[in-house]
Amino acid sequence: MWRDASTWAAEALAVFAKEWRCEFRTRYALNTLGLFAFTTLVVVSVSLGPVGVSTSRGTAVLPVLLWVILLFSAAAGLPRAFVQEEETQTATALRLAATPSALFCGKLLYGLTLTFALEILVTPVFVAMTSLDVKSPGLLAAVLAAGGFGLAAGSTLVAAIIAQARSKGTLFSVMAFPVLLPLLLIAVELSRGAVAGDPAGVALLQLLLYDASVTVAGFMLFPVVWNP
Amino acid sequence: MPAPRLRFANVRRRFGRLAVLNGVSGAVGPGEMLLVTGPNGSGKSTLLRCLAGLLAPDAGTIEYREDEGDPAVDAASRRKLAGTVSPDLAFYAELSVAENLAFFARLRRTPPDRGLAVLDRLGLPLDRPAGALSSGMRQRLRWAWALLHAPRLLLLDEPFQNFDAPGERAARELLAEHLAAGGLAVVANPSTLEFADVAGRLDLGR
Repeated sequence: MWRDASTWAAEALAVFAKEWRCEFRTRYALNTLGLFAFTTLVVVSVSLGPVGVSTSRGTAVLPVLLWVILLFSAAAGLPRAFVQEEETQTATALRLAATPSALFCGKLLYGLTLTFALEILVTPVFVAMTSLDVKSPGLLAAVLAAGGFGLAAGSTLVAAIIAQARSKGTLFSVMAFPVLLPLLLIAVELSRGAVAGDPAGVALLQLLLYDASVTVAGFMLFPVVWNP
Repeated sequence: MPAPRLRFANVRRRFGRLAVLNGVSGAVGPGEMLLVTGPNGSGKSTLLRCLAGLLAPDAGTIEYREDEGDPAVDAASRRKLAGTVSPDLAFYAELSVAENLAFFARLRRTPPDRGLAVLDRLGLPLDRPAGALSSGMRQRLRWAWALLHAPRLLLLDEPFQNFDAPGERAARELLAEHLAAGGLAVVANPSTLEFADVAGRLDLGR
């Protein structure tokens, strides 16, 4: 059993390593995410002006803007995970060689690292440019970690479902909306709390439960949507 | 005479209103090769995709056993056990030939040595990016990929397509060695001319 688990993990790690090796050579997702994040950060900072916004308005508005930037930056790169495999016809070789759950795990790990890298780059710059005073930085870090996990897991699952469809771009937006909406509502509310210094309460648990549900659903659904 | 390890009976497959396979049957035993012929669009590739587990037939049965007396494996196991050469197979353009083989060897849970040895016989530079391969070179990589895990069942769709004469000769030798070692092969080809000496034939022509 342990041998099976270690070979399964080796398969997942092989997919993860392949994703990053290909990404470092093409820099498709990195460039797209980076450019989108940079552009939106500049737009937000210029629109708010050099004086920023008042503390009360900032607490209400800025966490929303942060998650809008993170969502759309991630949406620009994450759906490629499976779509590119179909478009370049490498999906057939993967279907014949990979264990579906290990493949999903490898793609999810790639999405997670990409999302976390995005958050690590965007959040400090956003906080500095908007002069956002975060009262509970620990809670904000926890929300970003849990929210980033949910964002990556939800996007990977939807990307897998739409990969074989014709209108992939439209379908991703339509399917991602109901999957990611609960995550965003909870993450924004928790981020507001972190900025204001409020306790996390039950919302953080809800976010973790969302992450667990989407991940389990991904592992259960993926073999069905991936294979005939 | 050994019992067939691969049997398919009354396999049917439609794409919308178009019936591509209308009750196709066949069987292949150890050391045997089944040649599937027919004009373009007659369903050769569809049959091979069904046998490989890449397409689910609408009706009919497909049974494959690795060894005599073993239970028949399901489509998911067939996908992993069979070695497939198909024009649909593509590899990662950003990775070199060796990196592609190493990646799929890790997924197949086998060392890449056998695939590298096949490439050595077929003649293909390992450090070239897969995206920079000619069509004949891509076909060589497909053969190495298919034989990577030493499969007993080979499913070959137009296996000598785009090969030059030395490439085709080497691939024919690999196929002959596979059959001599007790392996099975199903080969789809539009013409019978390239396989004049094959006994088992299935004509999908209509």
